[in-house]
Amino acid sequence: MSESILSARGLAKTYLSGDRRIEVLRGVDLDVAAGESVAIRGESGSGKSTLLNLLAGLDAAEAGRLEWTGMPVTTADATRRRAIFLGMVFQAFYLIPEIDALANVLMASRILRAPGAADRARARDLLARVGLTERSTHLPAQLSGGERQRVAVARALMNTPKLLLADEPTGNLDEHTGDAVIELLLSLCRETGTALVLVTHNIAHAEKTNRQLFLHEGVLR
Amino acid sequence: MPWYLYLAFKQLFPTKRFPFFTAISVLGVALGVMVLIIVTSVMGGFGYEIRRMIVETEGEVTVKTTTTIDDVPAALREIRASPGVAAASPFVKGPVMLMAAGHPAFPLFRGLEVGSVEDVTKLSRYVSPVGALAKLDDDSVILSAQLVQTLGAHLGDEIEIYSPLLIENLKNDEVFLPRRFRVVGQLYIGHQQLDSSTVYGTLRAAQEIYGLGRNVHGINVRLKPDAPEEAAVAVLNARLPAKLRGYLWMESWADFLWVLNLEKSINFFLLLFIVIIAAFSVMSSLLISVVRKTREIGLLGALGASARQVALCFCAQAFVIGVSGTTLGVAAGFGVLAIRNDLVHGIANLLQREETLRQFYQFSDLPAHTLPRDLILIIVAAIAISTLAGLFPAWRAARLKPVEALRNE
Repeated sequence: MSESILSARGLAKTYLSGDRRIEVLRGVDLDVAAGESVAIRGESGSGKSTLLNLLAGLDAAEAGRLEWTGMPVTTADATRRRAIFLGMVFQAFYLIPEIDALANVLMASRILRAPGAADRARARDLLARVGLTERSTHLPAQLSGGERQRVAVARALMNTPKLLLADEPTGNLDEHTGDAVIELLLSLCRETGTALVLVTHNIAHAEKTNRQLFLHEGVLR
Repeated sequence: MPWYLYLAFKQLFPTKRFPFFTAISVLGVALGVMVLIIVTSVMGGFGYEIRRMIVETEGEVTVKTTTTIDDVPAALREIRASPGVAAASPFVKGPVMLMAAGHPAFPLFRGLEVGSVEDVTKLSRYVSPVGALAKLDDDSVILSAQLVQTLGAHLGDEIEIYSPLLIENLKNDEVFLPRRFRVVGQLYIGHQQLDSSTVYGTLRAAQEIYGLGRNVHGINVRLKPDAPEEAAVAVLNARLPAKLRGYLWMESWADFLWVLNLEKSINFFLLLFIVIIAAFSVMSSLLISVVRKTREIGLLGALGASARQVALCFCAQAFVIGVSGTTLGVAAGFGVLAIRNDLVHGIANLLQREETLRQFYQFSDLPAHTLPRDLILIIVAAIAISTLAGLFPAWRAARLKPVEALRNE
């Protein structure tokens, strides 16, 4: 087994719904090794997206400990480290509508530094690998749902992250397109040695990963 | 270019799409700046024209004393030898009583040295008929336009001028007869205050009316064109005897210029509200943008953008709107100023009121003069106000937590 790049211990999260306290996560433990792909399934509202947000450092857990490459993640340094350590793919793509596909991919590196020729070459290469060379100058509105998600995948891989977190990336796509996106995601992660945490409802997609976990009543098994 | 500037530009001017919200915000700022430039320049133009008229009728400097200047040739020698001085001409000035065809008036009599007055002033430019000033003798006078109108006087008419010495003479039971003058011209400068009740005669006639002998009330001085006014007056005053002092035109007309500046400042302050209202439009469109782009703001956070950078992105948008609007406004303002006279004459012509315009506003053309200081003030104020308008939307955007922003429906 490779070294663990993500380690979560006892993550807990509670939401208030009116007067009720809902324990969404109750001491979640998770280790992800470099290059490993892990699927997390669960019913709607089971806290899959909440867990992913905690793992990405976008939200703070009420209890527990999170480490990226052996280093504890704190609120103070999460933003800066996130851009280098991980990439994210969302169900709703979240492409910036005013800029074309190539610029959307480059946006990930632009946040770290002014993009140079090497960055532009990598963005073009990633677009080629997701099969969108011809669509690089198209705006998101001119792309189909599947194409938009492929741009989002290319963007997530732009900074050569160690971990890719995908939150129901096929949720807005038809079955055929969804299958193609998952195949692409898995093959790119394999090629680049990027670990993948895939949140999905789709059993077939989950079965394509190295490990499958199920989140039920706030506990990950 | 930092990503937040790049994204600010892209959000304001998106590819392949007309930037509707940006255009409205930019136009608002541009409109305010344009109106500010036009009004400030026209007000500046009035000031500039008045300065020109004062200088052209009295020279830049007036040398005066508390009583009268007795050794006029010595004073003139000293003044003319001062560096920065181009020419000097003595004058006598004081109130008199005037009777013309049974109508009384109490104008100011201004006695000029015909031989030297044209070296200092450009009075002849305003006198009609042409050459009347040069032909002025001890028995003739030129009346200001307003006085001609009040008295209904015509060229060649005889008028009588009573000296203030008449009162002193009456105390001694002496008879002091009025002096008769022939009207040989009228002086029309084009500004109400300068065209007010004045009689222009020769220096000798004025000295006689006031019983001054060879003394004068003051000396008008023209400075060399390249001489800095205040420095030249300081040098001149250092050379003059203690009882004489040179006053720059700005000091002599300080109250009038203060009122003019006050009018200009009030106009600037009131018109600045157009820019402030435009800034509210900038703020409103940026707030809409923050709401519309909530999930994108969340995405930027997920990509590693800090709250400060997100705030800068919206501040930069307000700054770019301010700069674009100001640039457009300055260009439009100067564009309108370039055709201002065509516009004014066109409107007056259309309403058949061109003559009324000339009669009441004195200026046949609308003057305009933009001071670099005013221009810089307008540019800085417009950009600063627009940028400040972006602070609230920027703060709202920065406060959004990525996880909540991404969850936003």
